[in-house]
Amino acid sequence: MSTTTMPPAPEVTRPPADGDRPWAAVLALARFEARELLLNIPVLVLLVLYLGYTAYGLVAAEQDGMTDYPVLQNADRASQTAPQLVALAVLLCVNHAVLRSRRHGTDRHFGVLPLQPWRRTLAHALSAVPLAGLVAVVVGAEFAWAASKPGAVGHGSLFELVVAPLSVLLAGVVGVLLARLIGSAFAAPLFVVGLYVLLAVFSIATSGSDPHWLRWLSPVVPESGGDPLPSGLLGRPAAWHALYLVGLTVALLCGAVTASGRRTRTVAVVTAAALAATAAGIAGQSPGDSRDLAAARETASASPETVESCTVRGSVTYCAFPEWSGRTADWAAVVERVQHLAGDRRDRLTVRQRVEARYGLTSDAALTALSGPGQVTVGTAWGGNRIPEFAVGVASVLVAGDEQAASAVCDARAVTITWLALAAQADPMSAFVHVRLDDRTEGSGLVLAPTDPLGMSAGETAMVRALLAKPREVVSAAVRAHWAELTSPKTSLARVAQLLDVKAPEKEDSRDACEA
Amino acid sequence: MTVTVSASGLTLRYGGTRALDDVSLSLRAGVTGLLGPNGAGKTTLLRVLATAVPADGGSFTVLGHAPGSAAGRQNLRRTLGYLPQNPGFHPDFSAFEFVDYVAILKEQTDRTARHREVRRVLDAVDLSDVRGRRLKRLSGGMRQRVALAAALVGEPGFLVLDEPTVGLDPEQRVRFRELIAQAGEGRTVLLSTHQTEDVAMLCHRVIVLACGRVRFEGTPAELTARADGRVWSSAARDPGARAGWRTGAGTFRNVGDPPKGAELLDPTLEDGYLLTLDDPDGAAPAQQGEAAA
Repeated sequence: MSTTTMPPAPEVTRPPADGDRPWAAVLALARFEARELLLNIPVLVLLVLYLGYTAYGLVAAEQDGMTDYPVLQNADRASQTAPQLVALAVLLCVNHAVLRSRRHGTDRHFGVLPLQPWRRTLAHALSAVPLAGLVAVVVGAEFAWAASKPGAVGHGSLFELVVAPLSVLLAGVVGVLLARLIGSAFAAPLFVVGLYVLLAVFSIATSGSDPHWLRWLSPVVPESGGDPLPSGLLGRPAAWHALYLVGLTVALLCGAVTASGRRTRTVAVVTAAALAATAAGIAGQSPGDSRDLAAARETASASPETVESCTVRGSVTYCAFPEWSGRTADWAAVVERVQHLAGDRRDRLTVRQRVEARYGLTSDAALTALSGPGQVTVGTAWGGNRIPEFAVGVASVLVAGDEQAASAVCDARAVTITWLALAAQADPMSAFVHVRLDDRTEGSGLVLAPTDPLGMSAGETAMVRALLAKPREVVSAAVRAHWAELTSPKTSLARVAQLLDVKAPEKEDSRDACEA
Repeated sequence: MTVTVSASGLTLRYGGTRALDDVSLSLRAGVTGLLGPNGAGKTTLLRVLATAVPADGGSFTVLGHAPGSAAGRQNLRRTLGYLPQNPGFHPDFSAFEFVDYVAILKEQTDRTARHREVRRVLDAVDLSDVRGRRLKRLSGGMRQRVALAAALVGEPGFLVLDEPTVGLDPEQRVRFRELIAQAGEGRTVLLSTHQTEDVAMLCHRVIVLACGRVRFEGTPAELTARADGRVWSSAARDPGARAGWRTGAGTFRNVGDPPKGAELLDPTLEDGYLLTLDDPDGAAPAQQGEAAA
């Protein structure tokens, strides 16, 4: 021993008062790291991209009128995909922040500071909370904006709305865990690329039809593509999925805390509870569509009249799924404009809302034309191009008697249907462009309708274009006066030209699918 | 004066090497210098006292807190300011942010009070004007002062400084001496250094460590006194001297056992240090004197 004396008892001092508040220090560090995170270039860039994309989506969609009539059970989950940009930035930048000390050699120094590593781990995870909160605010504002529209229908789900902010939190926790397990700055980017490649390979291997349980392991399952379904037919296990995300986030956070050296009973209990919640979430979201749901979808698709409620306006009965009952006024406005142009006809019509729900949310299966006289199909989407398409459907039934018959009309009837539908629009030429599948107003083509499209020859197209150039009331008066001839399958285009006082086509069209 | 830091029988092995070999010491308020050649175990001793590495054997307390339990280690760390030998920096942080970050890790939670404290320590190390500047844009000396500010933040009772003046130019070293002297007022500072001048000018106590053992513990004057009558001048290097070098005046300054009739010179602390390192039995007269007292 180097010395021969025992030192006298040292003076005992109390630690600083702040030292009694490690949890407050965790929050202080989380605030500090959150500010650093928000000032990170990748976070700023992707955040601006996300906000810009969201704003652009609202503005651009405003212009085509689609968002004037949002379906809230679609609007909620539509907000889930874009925030993944923020989640990606959070994963990478939180991981970078956790590794900061190791990267710059301060870990030896900071290792002897009182705030323990596991509390620092918690603080890093909490640093993602403000960004998750920001995403929650944007998602909430997006949804509130949609819900505030007079044309909004349906019901949103809180569980769908929390998915985006939860996925941001999950990304932050994954970033922290990766940093605690692998002390390399390459781990997080490689993880992201690896995950993407894995998903791409799996998607190719399963031809995009990966099993339901596997698809729902992804943080975000947007399931978009088809027409909106009534909320009762969605079959999305949103609550289970939210539970799964919460459980997974907490479980991974516990893993990161454990990797930081905190191995206590409390951590073990919280980990077990989080794993149980994750397992419950997976179990709840895995089974897929139930028999009851399949039966309800079959009913709504094949015999919607059993679940719809109807209202009568004049000679027209409007039948809608319960969530769409407020939209009948919009349909009626279109019907009445077409009826007026057709000479204030009061044929008995039934506007029937229909949906093809049997193939799920992502299916864009077409609706088949109805054969019943006076039956007009209207879909669950509304606004934008859906309005002239519905007008085509109404005019088709007025002219041809039923939808099936209307799918094969030509000559006088094709011209009359198309003119009635387009002249009922505020901007007929623009509507003509958009309602045509090829976005043209020349040559032959297909005109979209809620069910089967209507074929048009080049001559018919030219004649409709000429009619749209004439004053609406003048043409309407002629249509009223010559209704019988204009709706007859035997009336040629040359005769139509005479009746409506426009130039006849130079040569007759040859049409294969024209009815006798 | 009350003992604030005491260690008894500290031992630490790295493989087959004894980095610390039964080290005992006691520190009081004021600056204590820790001298020793490279590999003497200075940094290891500081890291043990700073709780960066646990000792294999022995015990120590800092301001009454022993690191044996998790709670004791936490309380000890709350009294500690540590400036490691090569402190890292977060280059994209400003000086203020870096010290603020360390203050948070020291559990300074009240934002207003913490920011006031950060400004105070940056002012103390004369960096107020550049506190908003990123660390990567500061000179090495400025960064070292930032590290000292980080060690000082929160007014720790025990300050551990591991070769803080390495790489600094003479002007910066003088500035650092001022700062360390100020820091030593009312708190215990353990300063590891190779610079005997720093010890002579700053420290009220000095510990010499060699091969992991304490070779001397006493005042700088006592260390200097070990060379009384053992430094002499000669026209040529005395072959019997343990060390000798030509001075600016052209004569040789020898340290060791002088021949009879040699022209003796006043010893310096460095002379005493050199002789202490060469002392084969490792006797520490000052400690013995202390024991007798």
